Amino acid sequence: MADISTAPKRRTRIITAGVVYTLVVLIVGLAAGTRPNNLLIWVFSCLLAAMIASGVVSGWMMMPVRALRIEPRRGRVGEPLLIRYEIRNASRVIPAYDLHVVERVNPKLLELAGEAWVMHVGPGDRVHAEGVFRPLRRGPVRLATFEVSSTFPFDLLRKVLVFDQGAEVLIHPKVHAIRPAILSRVTAGGIGGQRLSSEAGGSDDFFGVREYRPGDSVRQIAWKRLAGTGRLATIERSRSVPPRVRLLLDLRAPTSALKVADGEVARELEEEAIVLVASFLALADRLGYEYSLSVAGVATPPVSLRRGHFHREKLMSVLAAIDLDAARTTGNGLSASDERATIVVVHPDRTDTGIAPATSWHFTARQLDSLLEPASGRETIA
Amino acid sequence: MTLLRQHRLASFLLALLAIVAFAIAELDFGMLFVGVVLAVLSWYVTEGPRGRTIPDWASNTLVVGAVAWNGFQFLMRGEVVDAMGVLGRVLVWILIVKLYARRTPSEEKQRFALATMLVVAGCLESVQFAFGLLVIAYTVVAVWSVMLWRLARSAEAARASRFATNGFAPPLEIAIGRRVLPQFRGLVAVSVLAVLCGGIGVFILFPRFAEISGGSGGRGRSSVTGFSDEIRLRRGDRITESRRELFTVRWTDPDGSPRRLLRPLLLRGAVLSWYDELGERWVANRGEAGIRTVRTPEDGKFATLSRGVPADIGPVATAQIEMRSYATEVIFSVYAPIAIATSEPRSIALDPSTLILRDVSTDRMSRYWSYELQVQQQPSAEVLDALTAGSDPTERALGFPVEAVRPIARSILEEVRRGGNLPPEPGVDTSASERFLYGREVARAIVAWMRTNFRYTTDLSAFPRVEGEDPIVSFLARYRAGHCEYFASALCAVLRSLEIESRIVTGFIAIEYDESAEQYIVRESNAHAWVEVRTGADAWMAVDATPEESLLQLQERNRSFVDGFRWIYGRLEFLWNSRVVSYDASTQSTMAGRVGTGWREAVGERFSQLLARMRAIAAELSLGSAGGAWFATIAVCISAAGLAWLIVVFRHRRLRRWLRLGTESPIEQRRLLRDAAFYVDALEALEAAGFSKPTHLTPRAWATALAGMDAVVGERFAEVAESFYMVRYGGIRTSQREATTYQSQVLALRAALRQKRRGNRVD
Repeated sequence: MADISTAPKRRTRIITAGVVYTLVVLIVGLAAGTRPNNLLIWVFSCLLAAMIASGVVSGWMMMPVRALRIEPRRGRVGEPLLIRYEIRNASRVIPAYDLHVVERVNPKLLELAGEAWVMHVGPGDRVHAEGVFRPLRRGPVRLATFEVSSTFPFDLLRKVLVFDQGAEVLIHPKVHAIRPAILSRVTAGGIGGQRLSSEAGGSDDFFGVREYRPGDSVRQIAWKRLAGTGRLATIERSRSVPPRVRLLLDLRAPTSALKVADGEVARELEEEAIVLVASFLALADRLGYEYSLSVAGVATPPVSLRRGHFHREKLMSVLAAIDLDAARTTGNGLSASDERATIVVVHPDRTDTGIAPATSWHFTARQLDSLLEPASGRETIA
Repeated sequence: MTLLRQHRLASFLLALLAIVAFAIAELDFGMLFVGVVLAVLSWYVTEGPRGRTIPDWASNTLVVGAVAWNGFQFLMRGEVVDAMGVLGRVLVWILIVKLYARRTPSEEKQRFALATMLVVAGCLESVQFAFGLLVIAYTVVAVWSVMLWRLARSAEAARASRFATNGFAPPLEIAIGRRVLPQFRGLVAVSVLAVLCGGIGVFILFPRFAEISGGSGGRGRSSVTGFSDEIRLRRGDRITESRRELFTVRWTDPDGSPRRLLRPLLLRGAVLSWYDELGERWVANRGEAGIRTVRTPEDGKFATLSRGVPADIGPVATAQIEMRSYATEVIFSVYAPIAIATSEPRSIALDPSTLILRDVSTDRMSRYWSYELQVQQQPSAEVLDALTAGSDPTERALGFPVEAVRPIARSILEEVRRGGNLPPEPGVDTSASERFLYGREVARAIVAWMRTNFRYTTDLSAFPRVEGEDPIVSFLARYRAGHCEYFASALCAVLRSLEIESRIVTGFIAIEYDESAEQYIVRESNAHAWVEVRTGADAWMAVDATPEESLLQLQERNRSFVDGFRWIYGRLEFLWNSRVVSYDASTQSTMAGRVGTGWREAVGERFSQLLARMRAIAAELSLGSAGGAWFATIAVCISAAGLAWLIVVFRHRRLRRWLRLGTESPIEQRRLLRDAAFYVDALEALEAAGFSKPTHLTPRAWATALAGMDAVVGERFAEVAESFYMVRYGGIRTSQREATTYQSQVLALRAALRQKRRGNRVD
């Protein structure tokens, strides 16, 4: 847990308004010095006092301010990434106003879409603010320091508190809306199609009988068994399991070895392939399939066939963490112990059927546009 | 947001205040009325139910039009001295246009800059109390407005940046804490106080190289009645009658009874003997020759203004003058004062050629004072000889530079001569006394003629300036109407053209007599100009061409019930003039000297008093030489006790904060302060080591979190937390043994933290 009370580094920055104001004060001071007019001297005195008061009040105000970044775990390319901050005013007397929170991050990775701004933090208060960023690239983004600054009260100086709180956000690849028919076609009637599970579930088919447990439905009680043995038993029904699909991303060939047409960039093709896989994953999740991911050419942890939000996020994280600059390995990323499922292979540049069994389906990154839902185009889906 | 909505009101008030301040500085009540009405209307138009603004092109056109029109006016008939006034008027119109314009951040900045420039321009135009009050009010509102502007600007920028993403970023939810409004007001108050205190400090310490002029200002198209040591005949079209009470005069006869004189009392302030034809003004001859300085005694006794004044001059009258709201170095007196007494010691300079008195004390901090003058009702030759000793005998108040006045003067003389029996015109061999007699008689005759044929008025707007013609000529030959400055100027010009020595005197005419208080009340509107004609080698006689009845009518016309309360404003204005407007280098150095010596004296006096008291106690108790040691011991004990008390108070305050004892009963609070202090010690030790406990975590949860960071520290704190739970919620009084155990747990935690710190250092 990051320590909110860690003293930040303090900085004072000159701003344009302050420079202009100083020039005005100097001019008025010059006039007051040469012209025997006490009211002009009074105006100059107030202008000068405002400068001093600005420094004193803002310094006094910012002294007890502490901030904590509430780390976002992940973001997605093309979707708003909200980074929240907890701003605390440890002072018992003076409130803090007009606090801007600025994240020092590589703008090529995260683009600011809405700064975090706090209008007021009272003495002893904790206030949450959120900054909105637009993730531009997939992969881990390192958050190192952020600044809490204010030009309050007179907009002459910027008092800055620099908080050094390291964190990492994993940016998931962009997801497009792919036509559902594609996935249902490739799984229909194949080895990954709908079937009965070997586990108890909620269908009408008999699975077995077990001892009654409190909470079991009265409807499921095996009355005949009760009559025979005198002990309560519950009938278990089998459940149908959804289709299974295993996505295989083919990254065996190094980026430089990819065959690209004129105007195409090899690295972009690889990224498109990752986006296509992510879109398939999202679609599979949406359709209720069980799905898994293997990456050929890059070492990734083995993932079994599952479904659900957490599983999807886990696989997205795997995709997000792929380092395309790392050395590629051989092998297709599949293992003999993998559960049976329809295999969908995505290649960056061209199809290589040798990577997977003959029943597998192959796509290339160039097909992404043709697979999208007509209405959505390249719109991102959540 | 209520707070953010206030910004517009503050911005509007700031602009309104600037317009009012400048109009007051210029004494331009037309501008005041029109400016305020247009500004208030702008608030209704822009912030009312319809919320209309004028388009940018119209705003820009109006601004250009205002600049062009005022520039044209200035080029056609403006004077260089009124350049700041013209600039201010341009700024007023631009500001009014901007009040109707669309509210953008840049427009807001421009409006603030314009308002500030307007106030600065006003400062160059006026030093009046009313304007000063408005400047101070402007300072306060400006602080408030800028602080609000800062918040509103940030809110708008934050909203706009999100809006620019076309729905990508969610709309801004403004993050605020509790009690935002009262706390903002408090911070504004602190900032205003800081600015005002800082401003006063800088104002006091600001180096002043030039002499500060404490004039009444107001160099606009109008002017206010008031004393001035010069007469500008082109100063203004209209004179505003100020009813400010300046001072009172009690005239006491030689027998000691106060009374009202049959004729108005003329109080001299300056003698103007030189006419500047080009500048169309009368100015004083500021010679330093023969000036004598006397120091008035502390006991309020009279100091004679000349050593040559004989002791047995006979009965003398006394004029007692008490300042009400006027701070000036000029000492207003009747002609030929013999002696002066002041309420506090002052240095008084007498110019023997004019018999004008001035306060030349270096200390000008306390100008609120009273003085008495001894005078002879008819100054004797001996007294005049003594007072004027050292003056330049060759100085003559003859001749007038404007040639056009000479034929007019001759025709007036002929007309006057036809109406009465004047002595014959002096020839070459005429004696000096006959010349003086002739001059006196001619002056009296011309005064009588002018009072019949000329009209008194303070409104000169119907008498426009004639290009190439001197205003005195215009007054004599064309309009025959004006105020006292014109009457005096014309009379002096005519007399000088007729080779009769004369000069103009400015000061006050006392005509309002308070029967109950038996004293004259002199108001600012009683400022007056008249003429003195030489009637002897050292003697001058006052002649006033201004019709007396006109002055009385004016006095009566301007009388109002407000006069009864005017003294309150007068006192404040006096303080303003004496402490602010006339604060100069000499006052600064005097004050610095006072502060420097004052605090040393105060500290030294207190210390010696303390020593004396200690010696007295030692003597009372027969402590002898050991008294010092006893007192030292007592002082050390008291200091130690005070220190201990402070430590306990601060510790209790800290414990209360950590343990959140606000809602507990007093008994429970005392118990926890005594028994649960070890827990606070543990938390503080953790905080010092960089492990500050988040408020949302319970002690046990914090111990778990700590264990994740450092197992040993977490374990030690877990013990402390368990003990704390027992104390806090167990409801049992902690025994001595348990307290020792808890303290040892804290010590163990500290040891673990030390160990961790050492480990970190080795790493």
